[in-house]
Formats: sequence, C-alpha cells, structure tokens
Amino acid sequence: MIQENVIKVNNLTKYYGKLKALDNIELEIPEGRIIGLLGKNGAGKSTFMRCILGFLKHEGEIEILGKPIKRHQESIHENIAFIPDVNSLDDRLTVKQTMDYVSAINSSWNNEKATELLTSSDLKPNQRVGTLSKGMKTKLYLLITLSLDVKVLLLDEPTLGLDIVFRKEFFNTILGEFYDENKTIIISTHQVEEVEQILQDIIFIDEGKIILQQDIEELKNQFSIFTVPSDQKEKLEQYNPKVINKTLGHVSAVLDSKIEITNAEVNRPTLSDLFMEKVGGSK
Amino acid sequence: MTKFKALLKKDLQISKKTLMIPLWITAGFYLLILLITAVAYFSGDLNLNLGDIQGTPPSEMINYIANLAIMGFPGLISLIFIIILTQGALNENIKNNSELFHRSQPVSIWYQSASRYIVGIAGNWFVLFAISIFNFIIVAIILAVANKFIFTIAFAGMLQSVISFMKTGLIIGSITFFFSAVFKDKAFLQGLAIIVGVQFLFIILNALMQWHLPLPLSYLMKLINASTPTSIEPEIFSENVSYYINEVWKRILINWNTLLQIGVSGVLFVGATLIYKSREIK
Repeated sequence: MIQENVIKVNNLTKYYGKLKALDNIELEIPEGRIIGLLGKNGAGKSTFMRCILGFLKHEGEIEILGKPIKRHQESIHENIAFIPDVNSLDDRLTVKQTMDYVSAINSSWNNEKATELLTSSDLKPNQRVGTLSKGMKTKLYLLITLSLDVKVLLLDEPTLGLDIVFRKEFFNTILGEFYDENKTIIISTHQVEEVEQILQDIIFIDEGKIILQQDIEELKNQFSIFTVPSDQKEKLEQYNPKVINKTLGHVSAVLDSKIEITNAEVNRPTLSDLFMEKVGGSK
Repeated sequence: MTKFKALLKKDLQISKKTLMIPLWITAGFYLLILLITAVAYFSGDLNLNLGDIQGTPPSEMINYIANLAIMGFPGLISLIFIIILTQGALNENIKNNSELFHRSQPVSIWYQSASRYIVGIAGNWFVLFAISIFNFIIVAIILAVANKFIFTIAFAGMLQSVISFMKTGLIIGSITFFFSAVFKDKAFLQGLAIIVGVQFLFIILNALMQWHLPLPLSYLMKLINASTPTSIEPEIFSENVSYYINEVWKRILINWNTLLQIGVSGVLFVGATLIYKSREIK
C-alpha cells in the first residue's frame, strides 16, 4: 500500500534576525507513522513545528494533506492538533468552559468520546484550569486532543516537568486512544527513552538541518554498540566514531553493524546512542 | 457564526469578573448613601425636599439634569474599565502563556480579535446601560417623592449622558485596543507616553522651526469630544424643552464627529488586528 504524505516540506528556511534556525529543510512525512523529532536544545525542533502550524514567517513551502499552507491559516488547525507544554491551557477558564469552547469551534469534535473520557477521569468540570496540578492539566489537554478527529498530532515537549507516572500515562493514552494507521504523530521530546518503544521513524535535527530521517528498526539494524576493554581502545578508534564512551574498564562506540571486531561485545543501540553517533555531543 | 458565538462566550467568561466590578462599585455607592441616609434619619438631620429650595429651577430641568448628572460617576468608571479590558485584549494570552492554545484553534484571527474588541467595549457599554437603568429608577423614585417625575425628559437626560460616555468609550477603547496589539504590557500607559512624547516633540519643533505640525493630543481631544451640555439657561430650557433636547441630540449623536469616531475606531480595529496577525508565535 502506498502511503500518502501528510506533510511535505520544501526548502524550509527560517531566520531569527541573523540566526538561521532552520536551514533548507526537505522532508516528507507519510501518514500512519509515529515519528520522533530529536535534537539538542536550540536545534530547531520547536521552530520546525511552529512553521508547520503557520505560526512563523519562513522561506520555502509547506504542504499539509496535499495543500500548500499560508501563515495563520485557519484550516491548518482543522487537520492538526497541537500539544505544546501543557501549561499553555487558559488558566482563567474552567474545565467545562475549556471543553465547551474547543467543541464549539472544532467541527471534528467527538462529543461522545469527550463525555466518556471526562467521566472516566477525575477532572471536575467546574474547576478552574489555573487550580489544576500539572498532571491534571495534562489529562485535560489529552482529553481535548483525543476528542478531536484530526489527521496529525504534533507534540512539542508535552510532558516537560511531569513525573514519570504521568509521562508514561500520557504516551500510553496517546497510543491507545488516538493512534491508528490513518493518523500521524510527531513527537519532540528530550525524554527519548520513554517514547523509544512507540516510535516508528526518527528524525534527527541539528543546527536547523535534518541530519537523518529513517525507520527506527532499519537504523538500529544498521548500527551496533561495540564494547572493548579500555586498553584496546584503538580497535574502536580506527573506525573514527563520533563518540567513545568510557565505562568501568571498558570503552564503547556505535559503529556499522557489518564491522567485525575480535573480542568485542556487541549490543543493540538505543536511540540516544544513535543520536550521539549521528549528531555528536555538545561542542 | 457558531464559532464567533463560541469566542464571544469564552471571552465573556474570561472577562466576567472585571466586567462586574462597576456593578459592585455602584452597589457599594448606593449602600453608602443608604447608610448615610439611615444615620441622618436616626439622628434627625434628614431634609430632602427639592420643592422647598429657594430659586428651584423648573421640574423639567431637575428631571433632565438629575439624570444627566447621575451617570457621570458610572460613566467614568465605565471608561476606566474599558481601558482595563481593551489594553489586555491582544496581549493578555501571551502574558498568561495561553497564546499557543488559543491560536491552535481553527478560528479566524479576525473573529478572535473582533470578539475581544466587542467584549472589551460593548461589554462595558452593556454594564453601563444596566447601571443607568438602575440609576434611572432610583432617581425617578426620589423625584416622584420630592418634586415631580417627568419620564420623557428624565429618560432623555439619562440616555444622552450614557450615549456620550459610550462614544467616548468607543474611541478610547479603540485606541487602547490598538495599543494592545503593539505593546505586550501596560499598553495604555505605554501608548499614552508615546503620544505625550510626540506632543512635546511637535511643540518644540513648532516653536523652534516655526512649523505647524498638528498636535496629536489636541486632535485626540477633539475626536473624543463628548459634547455634553455645558450650560443650560433655565428660562430657555423650560420654554422649549423638546427643542433643547433635540439640539443636544444633534451635538451628541447626529453629526460628522460621530461618523469620524466610528470610522477612526474601525481603522484602529483593523490596524490592531493586522499587527496582531503579523506577529509570530514563538
């Protein structure tokens, strides 16, 4: 089956004054995938998402569901739901007022689902959003998003500042209640270990450039972690890895899986390992 | 229209507390009057008989002036609250960190802007009108008891006063709304400071260079011009009440300045929305 692209980006460049935040990005995002957007602080992840949402002036073209978008175009938000840091909900409204507002302006709102989710949650309809804990705000934001029948979901560090229980619950709910083969989710997060299991594709972004976009399984099969005793470090160095990690009495590096090193322990890399290899550490 | 109604409802819910404050202030004011009256009554000092005051103007004039004057205080309060609400209209969500949430909704920026403009200005108009009806009833009772109540004249006085304040509110609110698109905090004060700064600069330039640059504050005052009756001759007033009231209507409402005020307000709304629209959301 041929997967259609839900988002297509051509020559996307964004400047903040003289700073080039995005550098000529070319990208196609197919439907039905869960994609991780990984980059260091200031790499351009949030800027990229805000360009897709039509929030920022930029050079280049962006197409959503086959149609080119303009800045501040209302229809963008008919097809894309966006969860930034959950603290962006309006503190002055109550839970019910927030839900009523979103339901009235979104044609894709599923009232039955919203009622069901509200009943099963411990959110009180008349409670003011400002008095909710961060965890409860997350639940409310999730409830709103899951009640919208949209094609694309953008998550920009949505679990920042949440404890591990809420973080796990957040991603499990997204996977269980929102995702199906027709929907696309793009997740930008620093807590990559927690989403690694649900991601299908990965995009590495660094200094405004897309370093890599690939299926995670393919990528993990392509590379391995090789660990050798510290006195045999040169066995790794000959392949010029970007980073060599030191552990107790051993050194390790991410290298091409096809390489063979005698006496080396070979393991499957994590996303963090692959990120370090592709992008490198802090300069 | 469903979307616009939802926006209006949401913006009213957000501004409800602020909009209600003038009502509480009026209630407090009346409570104070009642308290003072009660104290005066029980201490035997209460003397309320407008008909007995020497040189009392005609009842028509009392009815007119009483209703005109009693709206002065609520009118000023209304102007203050129009400034308070409109100066945060297009920047409050940024301060509250909820701009991303609101701008991620599928609704036109023009609708969003119009809803906040209407709530900030018309919301306060509605409250002012509610207070004026309440004031009108109170004054009517006092006049009926102490002098003579003439509905048409009393109502005209009240309405002319309220409409004057509404017009002033429209232009001040629109200017402040425009500032809210330009400045992220304390929009009214920052905008005013710039106007005053330009005023002084132009005064200095005019004096030094012998130029005739128009002074922004003078223009604004002319534009705001509320045109309430400043002096009333009792004889002329009682001889031809309806003529006098019609003349005031012409000065308040049916003139070019009203059209200009509406036009300038429209331009300020459009300008503010375009600035708001051009802003990047980071």
